Amino acid sequence: MITFIELLVNGISIGAVYALIALGFVIIFKATEVVNFAHASLLLAGGYVVARLHPYVGFWLALLIGIAAAAVVGALVEFLVIRRSKAANHSVLAIVTIGVDIVLTTELTRRIGTEVLAMGDPWESGVVHLGPITIAQTRIAALVVAALLITAFLLAFKFTGWGVAMRATAEDPETAALMGVRLGRVSLSAWAVAGGLAAVAALFLCVFPTPGLDRSSSLAALKAFPAAILGGLDSTTGALVGGLVVGVTEALMTGYQNDLAFLGRGIGDVAPFLVMIVILLLRPAGLFGTKELARV
Amino acid sequence: MSRLITWAAVLVAFVAVPFYLEGFWLQTGLFAMSAAVGAIGINLLTGATGQLSMGHAFFLAVGAYAYVSFSDDLGLPTPIAAVLAVLLAGVAGGLFSPIAGRLRGAYLGIATLALIFGGQHLLFNVEHVTGGFNGRAVPPLEIFGFAFADAPELILMNVPFGALERLWFLGGALLLLAALFARGVLRGRPGRAMNTIRDHEIAAGVMGVPVTRYRAGAFVLSSMYGGLAGVMLALVFQRTVPDYFGILLSLDYLAMIVIGGLGSVGGAVIGAVFVSLLPQLLTRYSDALPLVSAPGSGGVSPAEAARLLYGAAVVGVVLFLPGGLLGLLRSLRLRLPSLPTPLPDTRSSHVS
Amino acid sequence: MSRNRTAALRGAAALLSLALAATACASEKATGGAQPSASAGGDGVKTGPGVTADTITLSLLTDLTGPYASFGKSLTQAQQLYFEQINTAGGICGRKIETIVRDHGYDPQKAMASYTEVSPKTAAIPQFIGSPMVTALKAKITGDKILTIPMAWATGLLGSEAIQVTGTTYDIDMINAVDYLVKEKGIKAGDKIGHLYFEGDYGESALAGSKFASEKLGLELVEQKIKATDQDMTAQVAAFKKAGIKAALVSVGPRQTASLVGVALAGGMDVPFVGSNSAYSPQLLATPAAPALLKDFTYVTAGAPISAPLPAYQKLITDYQAKYAGQTLDSGVAAGWTAAIIVGDALRKACEAKDLSREGIIAAHRGQKAWEAGLGGEPQDFSAFDRPASRASYVVKPDKQAVGGAVILKEAAVSDLAKEYSVPAAG
Repeated sequence: MITFIELLVNGISIGAVYALIALGFVIIFKATEVVNFAHASLLLAGGYVVARLHPYVGFWLALLIGIAAAAVVGALVEFLVIRRSKAANHSVLAIVTIGVDIVLTTELTRRIGTEVLAMGDPWESGVVHLGPITIAQTRIAALVVAALLITAFLLAFKFTGWGVAMRATAEDPETAALMGVRLGRVSLSAWAVAGGLAAVAALFLCVFPTPGLDRSSSLAALKAFPAAILGGLDSTTGALVGGLVVGVTEALMTGYQNDLAFLGRGIGDVAPFLVMIVILLLRPAGLFGTKELARV
Repeated sequence: MSRLITWAAVLVAFVAVPFYLEGFWLQTGLFAMSAAVGAIGINLLTGATGQLSMGHAFFLAVGAYAYVSFSDDLGLPTPIAAVLAVLLAGVAGGLFSPIAGRLRGAYLGIATLALIFGGQHLLFNVEHVTGGFNGRAVPPLEIFGFAFADAPELILMNVPFGALERLWFLGGALLLLAALFARGVLRGRPGRAMNTIRDHEIAAGVMGVPVTRYRAGAFVLSSMYGGLAGVMLALVFQRTVPDYFGILLSLDYLAMIVIGGLGSVGGAVIGAVFVSLLPQLLTRYSDALPLVSAPGSGGVSPAEAARLLYGAAVVGVVLFLPGGLLGLLRSLRLRLPSLPTPLPDTRSSHVS
Repeated sequence: MSRNRTAALRGAAALLSLALAATACASEKATGGAQPSASAGGDGVKTGPGVTADTITLSLLTDLTGPYASFGKSLTQAQQLYFEQINTAGGICGRKIETIVRDHGYDPQKAMASYTEVSPKTAAIPQFIGSPMVTALKAKITGDKILTIPMAWATGLLGSEAIQVTGTTYDIDMINAVDYLVKEKGIKAGDKIGHLYFEGDYGESALAGSKFASEKLGLELVEQKIKATDQDMTAQVAAFKKAGIKAALVSVGPRQTASLVGVALAGGMDVPFVGSNSAYSPQLLATPAAPALLKDFTYVTAGAPISAPLPAYQKLITDYQAKYAGQTLDSGVAAGWTAAIIVGDALRKACEAKDLSREGIIAAHRGQKAWEAGLGGEPQDFSAFDRPASRASYVVKPDKQAVGGAVILKEAAVSDLAKEYSVPAAG
């Protein structure tokens, strides 16, 4: 039972980090209907800036600059590539982000080279004991930060002008534009926000229990794909739930790997995708996604 | 008439290649041919029908492993094993089509990622079929006693014909057949229906196109092309390795069709050649290139330069060449009417 | 139309036969199938591909942009340093050594392309990174008879006359590791030990060893397999904790090792961890995981760490730092250096036998039953290619002060279990 609770808590906390990444996907998708495969490189960019700057300016300032830098990179991708591409087909836009990702990731990994960069965070390898359960402080911080950020965005979507503009755009871009919503600004801000969120996620992916940022850190972004999809690509709540589902599934399947040996070793990595397929079979638009209705 | 002469020249050049070029070029060419077959397949699906698939590498794996298993485990003659492997890849695509049929756009794209991760899990774990992490040795293809292998020795016009030289012709023939068939599909009724589905699915349905059937059909056909590419790859590699059939391979295929030109056979072939050749050329001639430094000396290494160029090519093509490289060649030909081009004129519409 | 076509076809056929006729005299490939390989040079030394009257060409097939980039960089620099020193000293057999470096980024297709490109002009391959790559090319390398040193220690690489795995294989290391746990860390029959390993030949070769040893010693093995993309080992630690393991073996990458040991210690699982030689890198000592690694982690390796008090290594450290100032001296430097010497020695022996053909190089190499170059460890036996060249492993522990971030804890020794272990036949 203790193991179960420990696995569950860890699953939830890593799930919260996945949720942050997934939230970025969702925001971009809502505003521009682009599936952003360049998310991994935004993550890497944010993490890289934090890791390089913290010895000089201290952790907190480095984190702020990192978030800002990733937001700028996100906005630049939107401004220089997405906005200018004439492709009407959204698959093509998705593929162009693959190109962006290759360029950014190649350059960043070249700069990171062979190092493992510490993030300089204040939590280090501290843990909290709750009875027999131990949780890393970084994970608690991740959970709290993710919860705060996600709540903030849910509220912002409901109550701010920006949120209304975003929702209106997602609903019907043409009508929104006619109503005076500046589509360019909505889409630019969505990419910037997603970049900032990715930087925060990068921080939590590269602190304890992992040793630091290196060239393979961005691979974690792959896990956010099933998270975003199974929750529903256009639902912020979905991103949260999806992230948690992926985190918990992964943790439990790994933790009970020995009892599930018949499924093959290493099932923990595949399980989130299997869960995703099952959910998509039942609900093709994900748990909270809007079902596309067509009126003819 | 002038077109026939062009084609004849292409044929002569193609036949002459293995007599002159060394193994490295033949192998690179064969990888490009296999990639071209695979890219034609995904272009039918993603380019022509508008179904984003990131699972293409899975179907290559099915083709490659099925060929090995059918010929070695079941002892079937290798040509039959190859045909069955392609069919099995089609069946695998068919099995996925209930899912594919329900999902649209991005949902489908990411759902197909499950094929990659699930597929690699199987490749590593079903050891008695896949050989696990070690992979399996690929038996050479043998048609009517003629083996596509280094032995028995064969010398043509004083040139020793090993596995690569022999496979060169097989690869060319398979690519030609695959291209002609796909062109037939695209130019005919099915092609028009597929393009209509891509451009407006509901309208297609209203006009009487059986949307579900066509979407499933495109998935199966594209999987079979993937399977054939997998068989060809296995024959060139002479060994199947599970690491190879990962997400990067799938992304490469998507990049190929975007670079070459969506929705057409010529585009797929050009994109495949570009993506397969670029890193090899850069690595091989890295000494002579400016801005590219020797590996390990700290600057941009050839492999990195290739990645950067490749990523930039995807972005650049989407931004500046909506018709891909094929579209560029076509417009060049329009401006220079006397310039013959060895490309088949597929006349299919592509994404604007 | 049809007449036009026939005419064109006839024209094409004519062109074709013309081209083919031209082939016969113009193509460099038109050798008539005779092997140009073995011929005697002016100095009476038989030469083969990759060897001319004044040069010997060696190829380094490495990974400088993929997951093993840091390892590949150290290996390549160390080997280039060695061959430069040879050249300054006059070369081997009166010939200068030339190296071709090809970076495959851990991609089997690129590795194969690179191999096909360089193999016709290569005498030996002192470095080939990645067991998936070498495994994929095993049959070709064996057929081409190019002496190749894979920079991987999976059991499946044994069994080819041309391929020389240096030192121990991963399974032997793990057997010695279990032996060490039982003899010195108080693990006894009935105890559970964990093994965290990578999917793939590295992890699974290592697992074969730990399975063998724990069966023989009556231990219960708790397996956890992960992928190279997994970064956070919290769930694995929870599973080990649940099983109640008393010690753990680690056959993963340095990142995962750091995560595992760090999480375990933070969660109160203070047990000994013993890694394979690829599980550690000195770069980890600059991360927050350092205290945990210094406390609980050791690893087993056939090659002595570079900090070992051996004159050969002290000279290497000085020379390497002079050439590549400020770069980490990790295990790759020592491994690359060792492999370069093995190839250098094979070439020298082949020269003595006046046969620098590929067959000659391999024969000279395989003639060495107790190879030793002052680099520590037991002498290696190269004469049999279906067995590891050595069965002795050092136990090494991380150390912040030491060059290369590790010092010897226990001298190289062969455990009784490792002696009786018979390597599974290569597939």
